[in-house]
Amino acid sequence: MSAPVYIVGLGVISGIGNNVAEHLASFEQAKAGMGDITTLNTIHKRQLPVAEVKLSNEQLVATTGLPERSSRTALLSYVAAREALDDAGIPNLNSLRVGFVSANTVGGMDKSEDFYVQFHADNNKGKLRNIFDHECGSMTEIVADQLGIGDFITTVSTACSSSANSIFYGARLIRNDMLDVVVAGGVDSLTKLTLNGFNTLMILDKEFCKPFDENRAGLNLGEGAGYVVMVSDKVRSMLAKQPYCVISGYNNSNDAYHQTASSPDGTGSYMAMKGALDKAGLQPSDIDYINLHGTGTLNNDSAEGTAIKRLFDPEYPPVSSTKSFTGHTLGASGGVEAVFSVLAIKNQIIYPNLRFETQMSELPFKPETRFMKNQHIKHVMSNSFGFGGNCTSLIFSAV
Amino acid sequence: MDERHFTTLSAEKYITSSCAISKGVVLKDGERLFENDGANAAAFMVSVYQHFQVSYPKFYKMDNLGKLGLLTSEILLKNSFNKEQYQPEKVGLVLANKNSSLDDDIKYWDSVKDIASPSLFVYTLPNIVIGEICIRNGFKGEHAFYIQQNFDADFIANQVNYLVDNDILDACICGWADFLEQEYKAVFFLVEKKTNGSSVVFSSGNMNNVFNK
Repeated sequence: MSAPVYIVGLGVISGIGNNVAEHLASFEQAKAGMGDITTLNTIHKRQLPVAEVKLSNEQLVATTGLPERSSRTALLSYVAAREALDDAGIPNLNSLRVGFVSANTVGGMDKSEDFYVQFHADNNKGKLRNIFDHECGSMTEIVADQLGIGDFITTVSTACSSSANSIFYGARLIRNDMLDVVVAGGVDSLTKLTLNGFNTLMILDKEFCKPFDENRAGLNLGEGAGYVVMVSDKVRSMLAKQPYCVISGYNNSNDAYHQTASSPDGTGSYMAMKGALDKAGLQPSDIDYINLHGTGTLNNDSAEGTAIKRLFDPEYPPVSSTKSFTGHTLGASGGVEAVFSVLAIKNQIIYPNLRFETQMSELPFKPETRFMKNQHIKHVMSNSFGFGGNCTSLIFSAV
Repeated sequence: MDERHFTTLSAEKYITSSCAISKGVVLKDGERLFENDGANAAAFMVSVYQHFQVSYPKFYKMDNLGKLGLLTSEILLKNSFNKEQYQPEKVGLVLANKNSSLDDDIKYWDSVKDIASPSLFVYTLPNIVIGEICIRNGFKGEHAFYIQQNFDADFIANQVNYLVDNDILDACICGWADFLEQEYKAVFFLVEKKTNGSSVVFSSGNMNNVFNK
């Protein structure tokens, strides 16, 4: 039996709230975060709904104390990572080996886009400081500095499974006694790059998305950040509070099928879920809730659903896609949804899958549509499947 | 021969196969196997596919760089490589080129003026060609794609030596694959830790000999 990895802190920001408490309230009130584009300067305003964080860059700068020129990616990351670390309340953090493993896919692209518009018009124009922090790794370094974490810092970027992989990696760092504390998760902010890219792929729903519905028409993009604080058994014993849960299983598998599509039978998704169960030493029937990847695209939900059918049939746990609230926060989604998965165990709740109407014809199950309290939730599976066939499943288990 | 002195501490590596496709000609291990100099670049790719009776319908969905890389790897490996001898995780690729995915990027950008094409968009990265070759053959080892002004055999040799000497790979396909409008050139080398009838020692000099032929 390998050493347990405890989750002791949570932090999240998305289109439905700026912290954990606001998220729980939005879930209970069935309040989705999508709406017209307000902060992003794009020709798609009023055409494509997105789930923006309801804070301007100016407000985020004021909250975080980061410089005015900061990328929105770094700003969102810091808000959620700070909340997670404060929530953990680990005494004498400086005496421990602490790591920050943060994922993102856009880096400082929002600022690069500002630069490019000016530079494209006139090659002598454009502020170079706007592209200085273009790279994904810059976001992690800026936030680690502000958090005061310096023992170990790394950035994961594997499309929409990025944050799940950073949690996976962080858990291994603790399990192998390389670190005592890891803040792991990820962030992405909305940019023209991602909006135009997903629009090109023709997988954006012009209405609010309907994950796992027969008549789903695509995803809505979102933005946000989500982090968990993981600690070793030694650190847990120093804490006054009880841990929320352990991370008991994880697996990353690849479809090797297509650049941007899952294989029709969800081979990668199946292998990731099966591998995570094996790692945790659990049976499918042990899972009490699946937080779906559930983007709302024809391809994802069909592949993911087929894989779930293959693994779980004939007994299905409750499932739902919280992307029906937050939109698809891309590189942040694994971290955001890991926070939701841990909260499901902590508060014994299941989240509704909004706007669901018609069961998918090829699936014998449908998502939960009500906010359910007083549930018996011991083991939660969280799915994050990315472009390039990069599929990750995490399992969180009550202590 | 002199290369041996520099590799005494690590496993000997050999180029057990090579394939070059450029200017309407296909060479395998230096031998001219096919020629069709009348065709434009895109038509030439299809003629190579047909001549070598490659059976992989996904070929037709690929961008030109993907087609070029796939065909070069098919001819490189055919009758020269026994993948059953290797773990999928121990076969990898190290490729480079000059023009990245520009051939497809330009076509994609043209499409944006009307309706942005998803099928062109998904090839607007140079390393997709590596993915296509890995999917085709079930390779799961380390891989990397570099963008360089010219074929830098020393650089490629360093990368491959590192991967093989550190036991990260047992076999590696390395070389060059570049495609821009009517100009294309691919030269692939199969590197293994064993000899065969036509093998030469893996070295930058021996790669340059084939590349510059």
